[in-house]
Amino acid sequence: MDTSQLLKGVLDLAVLAVLRKEDGYGYDVLRRLRQGGLDGVGDASVYGTLRRLYNAGLLTSYVVPSEEGPHRKYYSLNEPGRERLVESGQTWKSFARALDDLLGEGA
Amino acid sequence: MNTQTNTEVKHYLDGMREALADLPAAEVAEIMDDAGAHVVEVAEEMGDEFSLAALIDRLGTPRAYAEELRAAAGYPSPTSTAADTGGDRLVFPARFALWSLVAGTVMAFGFAVTRGDALEVTVLVGLCAAAATLLVFRQKGLLTAITRLPETVAIRDALTKVLKSDLGKAFESLRVFQPVWWIGRALLIAAGGTLVYRPDLMFVLALALAALSLFAGPKARTDRRWLWISLPATGFALGVLLAVLSALVLRFDTYPISAPVSYTPSPPTRHNIYVFDKDGKPLTDVHLYDEEGRPLNATWYGCTGADRHDNRYPRPRVVHDERGCHEEPGVPFTVVMPTLPTTTTAPPSTVTQSPAPTTPIPSTTTPPTTATTTG
Repeated sequence: MDTSQLLKGVLDLAVLAVLRKEDGYGYDVLRRLRQGGLDGVGDASVYGTLRRLYNAGLLTSYVVPSEEGPHRKYYSLNEPGRERLVESGQTWKSFARALDDLLGEGA
Repeated sequence: MNTQTNTEVKHYLDGMREALADLPAAEVAEIMDDAGAHVVEVAEEMGDEFSLAALIDRLGTPRAYAEELRAAAGYPSPTSTAADTGGDRLVFPARFALWSLVAGTVMAFGFAVTRGDALEVTVLVGLCAAAATLLVFRQKGLLTAITRLPETVAIRDALTKVLKSDLGKAFESLRVFQPVWWIGRALLIAAGGTLVYRPDLMFVLALALAALSLFAGPKARTDRRWLWISLPATGFALGVLLAVLSALVLRFDTYPISAPVSYTPSPPTRHNIYVFDKDGKPLTDVHLYDEEGRPLNATWYGCTGADRHDNRYPRPRVVHDERGCHEEPGVPFTVVMPTLPTTTTAPPSTVTQSPAPTTPIPSTTTPPTTATTTG
């Protein structure tokens, strides 16, 4: 199954999740997602998702000047973001459990 | 990161910016802040292996990148916004702008090649092209409307096909020399305007246009609106180049032909010669020779079309008047000889050089008929 289709629905949750412990700039978030096993995630999708979560008021951002290369815009979870993470996380877990149960005998 | 990489990355980023151009400027700036930084970072990671192709391989084309980002961020897609803001309303201006660009480019080329012929048409087309340029720069969304015109799509498809061919690849590899061409183009425009055409009027105008074209070159690479300046400039410059080259070719071609013609040594021939003796009496049937004894032959055409080629002067005058063509013998004027001793060398007379003192003719080839009066 094409994971990119699956990712579309859960990328919000994944991005919120990797920002829970530590703030990160875009590339940072991308690396953490890939290290976490989501290889198929597209660069542009991550940046688009960050913009959407930011515009939805779930993230705050700040710019950190860097001595070499361009400035980096860091994103961090704010209170609504944390609430959304908990909420979406629960939805996902019950969804995943249900799917696991369905697959239980076959897979 | 070296400058080449810099330019290519900038090119990529500008492509992204263009694909997002319908979004609010502030939002585009935010996106470019982090997504742009990402592209730069990816490019830096590639190090020596960096190339535009590698970057596109890794991230997709700027347009594709922008599309993916757009979809993930939940922005409206560009086509729907164009439709919302009345894409159809822009079809006429879009078409006008596109065809003015084509006509302007062709006209600029033709104007340069013909060295300023058809001035009226040129001015008319030039005004259209200028209006189109203004429109493209001022009217938001017009560029999108132009890119969606069926003729634009057709042109772009054709261009893509050419670019994918070997010829296109060869052409693409010349891209490195593009800055050189921009400078050459500016020089050609300045030269065309100042030297070849109207030196007085066009001087300032040509310099301004040259500077503008210099500026438009790099701009047009990332911002299509600059094509409305860059393409006609290219047309004009190519026209100037062609005009200069053809002038050079013509010059080299005509030299070997004209040289023998203009330097053929032949005795000077006149239409007629009148000779007078020391008393001012006209001499007829005089045979003339030069200092080497060669007869001073000349061709004479009579009324009947018959011609004569000899050294006997004066010839009858051929007169065309209401009676038609007729030949008049005799001398049409009289001269007053200066009253001078007959032994001295001839002084200048009032009308014509008086005949030289009768020195023997140094030639023996022909029995000279020395000035004999026959009546």
